[in-house]
Amino acid sequence: MVKNITIFTTNTCAYCGMVKKWLGAKGHTWDEVNLDEHPEQQAEAMRISGAMTVPVTVVTKHDDTQEVIIGFNLAKLAPAVS
Amino acid sequence: MSDTDIPKHDVIMIGAGPAALSAAIYTTRENIDTVLFERGVPGGLAAITDWVDNYPGFPEGIAGLTLADNLQKQAERFGATIEYGEVTKITDEGEYKRLETSSGPMLARAVLIATGSDYKKIGIPGEKEYYARGVHYCATCDGPFYRDKKLVVIGGGNSAVQEAIFLTKFASHIDLLVRSQIKASEILQDDLKKIVESGKITVHLGVAPLEIVAGEDKLVNKVIAQKGEEKIDFETDGVFIFIGLLPNSQFLANSPIELDKIGFVVTDDHLQTGMPGVFAAGDVRSGATMQIASASGEGATSALMIREYLEGPKQ
Repeated sequence: MVKNITIFTTNTCAYCGMVKKWLGAKGHTWDEVNLDEHPEQQAEAMRISGAMTVPVTVVTKHDDTQEVIIGFNLAKLAPAVS
Repeated sequence: MSDTDIPKHDVIMIGAGPAALSAAIYTTRENIDTVLFERGVPGGLAAITDWVDNYPGFPEGIAGLTLADNLQKQAERFGATIEYGEVTKITDEGEYKRLETSSGPMLARAVLIATGSDYKKIGIPGEKEYYARGVHYCATCDGPFYRDKKLVVIGGGNSAVQEAIFLTKFASHIDLLVRSQIKASEILQDDLKKIVESGKITVHLGVAPLEIVAGEDKLVNKVIAQKGEEKIDFETDGVFIFIGLLPNSQFLANSPIELDKIGFVVTDDHLQTGMPGVFAAGDVRSGATMQIASASGEGATSALMIREYLEGPKQ
C-alpha cells in the first residue's frame, strides 16, 4: 500500500507532466518538488535517484520502504503504486 | 485469448506525436473508432522541445509542451483514445491487422505507424555509462541541473543550436562541438551569433568527440575530442547530445513492412506501406522532412487515405 508519493519535477519537463497525469488518472495524490522553484533540492533529488534528471518519483509504502522511479516508466511506476 | 475476445478497432495509431494526433483529429471527426498507442509522451520530440517558432498559426511561437498538449486535447475532444504501452509486432490477417501490444493482442482494420524518431547516440566511450550523470538528450528535462555550470553541447543542426541557446538560461558557459559546419536555419544561426558575441557560447567547428570522461564520483568532468591531428580536452559538468535522428522502427525489423537502409518506413504516394491497410506518417516515414508542420500535414493526409481504405474500393 502506498503511504505517500513525491515527484521531483521541472517546469519544462514533458515527462513530469505525464507522470502526474497518469497518477492523477489512477486516483493518486502526490507532493511535488519543483526544482526550478527549489533548486536547493537538486542535490536531494540526485542523492535519492543517483541521476541528474527528472522526473524522479519516490513511492513510500506503509512499511516505509521506498521505490524510486526515474523518468516516465510505466513498467516500474504501475507496480510501485499498485 | 480467442480471436473473438481480442479488442477490435477501426484504426490503431502507433505513436501519439504530431502526425498521429493530427491524423486522429481527422479520423475521429469521421466517427472512425481510433486508438493511439504511445510508449513515451504524447507529442513526442515536439513535447520536449523548448520552443517551436515555425509551426504555422502561432505568430509568437509556442512552447513545445503546450503545442503537444493542445494537439492531444484536440484529438481527445473528438473521441481519440490514447493508451500507454508499446506495439511489438504487426501481422496481416486480411480484413484485420493483428498487433501484439504490451496490453495484449489487438485487431485493427487499418494501422498508422507514426512512431517518430529519437535522438541518435554517438556511440563513444562514456556516453552510455554516464547517462544522467552528465550525459543528457533532453535539455528541457535536465537543463535545470546545470545552473551556473559549464556544459558541452554536441551537434550542429537545428536541435543542437536551439537547445544550446535554451541551456544558456542555466549554464555559465557552453562549448558547442560541431563535427563539420553549423547546419541550423539562418534565424537560429543569427540567434546563436548574438549569444556567441556575448561570450556565453563558444562554437568549435571540425571537432569530433572521442570520449566522455567522469571523475571518481562517476560524474562527467570532460569531453575528449579530435580536431585535425590534435586531441582537445573540454572541461565540463555535463554534455547534451543532439546529433540527428533515428527512426523508431526497430519493432518492424522482422516484419514484411519495408524499411529503407537507415530504417525509415517505405510508403507509396498514398502513405501506404507494402502491407495493405498499414500506413506511415511523420518522422518515421522514409522521405520525411523532420518538421512538426510536415508531420501534422502527413497525419492529415494519412487519415484521408485511411478513410478511403476503410470505405473499400470505389465501384
